[in-house]
Amino acid sequence: MNIIPQIVANSLIAGSIYALIALGFNLVYGATRFVNMVPGALAAIGGYTVFFLFNRLGLNIYFSVIAGVVVAGFFGYLSDRLVFRKLRSHKASNLVSFVASLGIFTMLQALISILFTSQFQSVLSVTENPKTYQILGATFTWVQGLIFITSIAAFVSLALILKKTSFGKAVRAVSDDEEVSKIIGINTNRLISWIFFIGSCLIGLSGIFIGFDIGINPTMGLFIILEGATASIIGGIGNVYGGFLGAFLLGFVENFGILKIPGEWKPAIAFGLLILFLIFKPEGIMNKKK
Amino acid sequence: MSKTVKIVIWLVVIVIVIAIGASLSKKGSNPDTGTGPIKIGFIGPLTGDTAGIGENVRAAVEVARDEINAAGGVNKRQVEVIFEDGQCDPKAAANAGNKLVSVDKVVAIIGGLCSSETLAVAPIAEQAKVPLISDASTNPKITDAGDYIFRFVPSDLFQGKFDAEYIMNTMKKSKVGILYCLSDWCTGIKDVFKQNFASSGTVVDEEGYQQDARDLRSQITKIKAAKPDVIYFLGYSEASIVGLKQLQELGVKTPIFGGDAWDDVKIAEGAGKAANGAMFSVTASSKYPQSFIDAMTVKKADKELNNYSGRGYDILKVLADIIGRVGVDSTKIKDELYKVKDYQGIGDTYTLDAKGDLATANYSVKKFQDSKIVLVQ
Repeated sequence: MNIIPQIVANSLIAGSIYALIALGFNLVYGATRFVNMVPGALAAIGGYTVFFLFNRLGLNIYFSVIAGVVVAGFFGYLSDRLVFRKLRSHKASNLVSFVASLGIFTMLQALISILFTSQFQSVLSVTENPKTYQILGATFTWVQGLIFITSIAAFVSLALILKKTSFGKAVRAVSDDEEVSKIIGINTNRLISWIFFIGSCLIGLSGIFIGFDIGINPTMGLFIILEGATASIIGGIGNVYGGFLGAFLLGFVENFGILKIPGEWKPAIAFGLLILFLIFKPEGIMNKKK
Repeated sequence: MSKTVKIVIWLVVIVIVIAIGASLSKKGSNPDTGTGPIKIGFIGPLTGDTAGIGENVRAAVEVARDEINAAGGVNKRQVEVIFEDGQCDPKAAANAGNKLVSVDKVVAIIGGLCSSETLAVAPIAEQAKVPLISDASTNPKITDAGDYIFRFVPSDLFQGKFDAEYIMNTMKKSKVGILYCLSDWCTGIKDVFKQNFASSGTVVDEEGYQQDARDLRSQITKIKAAKPDVIYFLGYSEASIVGLKQLQELGVKTPIFGGDAWDDVKIAEGAGKAANGAMFSVTASSKYPQSFIDAMTVKKADKELNNYSGRGYDILKVLADIIGRVGVDSTKIKDELYKVKDYQGIGDTYTLDAKGDLATANYSVKKFQDSKIVLVQ
């Protein structure tokens, strides 16, 4: 049996999830320039919102997903409005902002544990066999297909927004230099809040998809930030296109890495790749050397 | 500085040194004052991996505690159990163990549940001379973990052998693919299984995964390609739910066999139909008395009680019995534990050997069926 097509499919599934995370992570990083832990907790919030609305209250699944995305986005916006905007006005260092984000991350995670217990929960009903599709000998479920299509769609629309709209231009300007953007009349605070909202929506969506595909628990966020940051660094931190590429590269290396050696090496390979990039190409694939 | 001041300072220093020395030499001796409640520690996963089983055992220990206290306690003293979360993780368990030993000064510790917890707490308990009695840790290394380390569950030397023989002789399969987590429990039982299986079968593929990994697809893809006629899948509840689903998604039709950590109704509910037919071995337990089941329902435990809850209950009952006879001296408690013979508990009948392990073991095979766990045979 040829397992290559299946490994390709596995890589694409993993890569799509990482891509959504990296898109959100990089968008926020580009505007604020510090490693923000909050998105990790927002992924869990997205997943749990859907779990609550769909599994507990039995509401429509599409409505639940949209609500989950918006709630995650709203919490992201709130974190900026209440905390990070204040820190920016104090000109707080990146370390301070990072520690603040770690605090919010831990607080939100604890809040979820209190509300929903820390148990692992499955979001989609498992009483029916999942519908699977076959392409060239690779098997995947409809959820996994949906994840792939959504991540591509999210990437394309984000790229179009950044390229074509004045909003996108402003975002790029802020990413380049916040001070100068302010001088030329961009309301940077409002813009950054919007970036937080959009980035958090993407991360929330990734959390929801992880819930559908695997399941949710309150501490899922740390893994999400780790994978998102790894993909972003490989692709080029703060660079939305780079993060997307890095995510798929990470997915492929992780899954193809264990093609010939036992599976326990998977994380060692993923983080080995990260270290190689940090040593030899710290700016990542897409960023130019400074 | 005047002479008197110097003398005073020196006196103070000497007193401090003596005080420190005295408190150090006291370490290991029994700090219990003979009044107030008798403190017993508990370590098990209350959050994180396999917390479902941990919560269940916690409820069982509470039931035992309430029964003992309702009957007047031990030597007219109440029993207090201090529950600590080991998170199925060596670091968290070691912290919990240190706290129980040095802050709470417990007389004995029930736990840990996961083998990595017990192995991490064992040196701490051994050094402080506090008996540590595990309800569920089956890793073979625990046998030699120390004089004060006991368990009321058989070593995987029994289970790995039983599983290998069951797969070879009852299921009549000879080509196994192993999917296992990188934890003390998984790797311990895997090694014993392999030794026993090698006699008349072959291991066609062996794939590990991190205990907290949730994407086992590529490992499963490789195992599937190696064409085993049975898959031996070792994992804790969370990774097992995900793994069983992914096995089904990837179209694996091979029979699946797992270890005793699968005796968790959370897996049956979480994996649903994806788990149908997957079998696992578990230490044979007597049917729980109705009074225990009722008391557990009050504690809001799972409807289906796992194999370890009865063991946790029995450990506290045995400890209460021993403390009632010899008092709270931990060395005496330890000596009495070695003498446990044919103790008829609600979970099993226990006889401890010279290493603090159960001398014998019986297993039964269960399987998942439509979100429930049922006995095979």
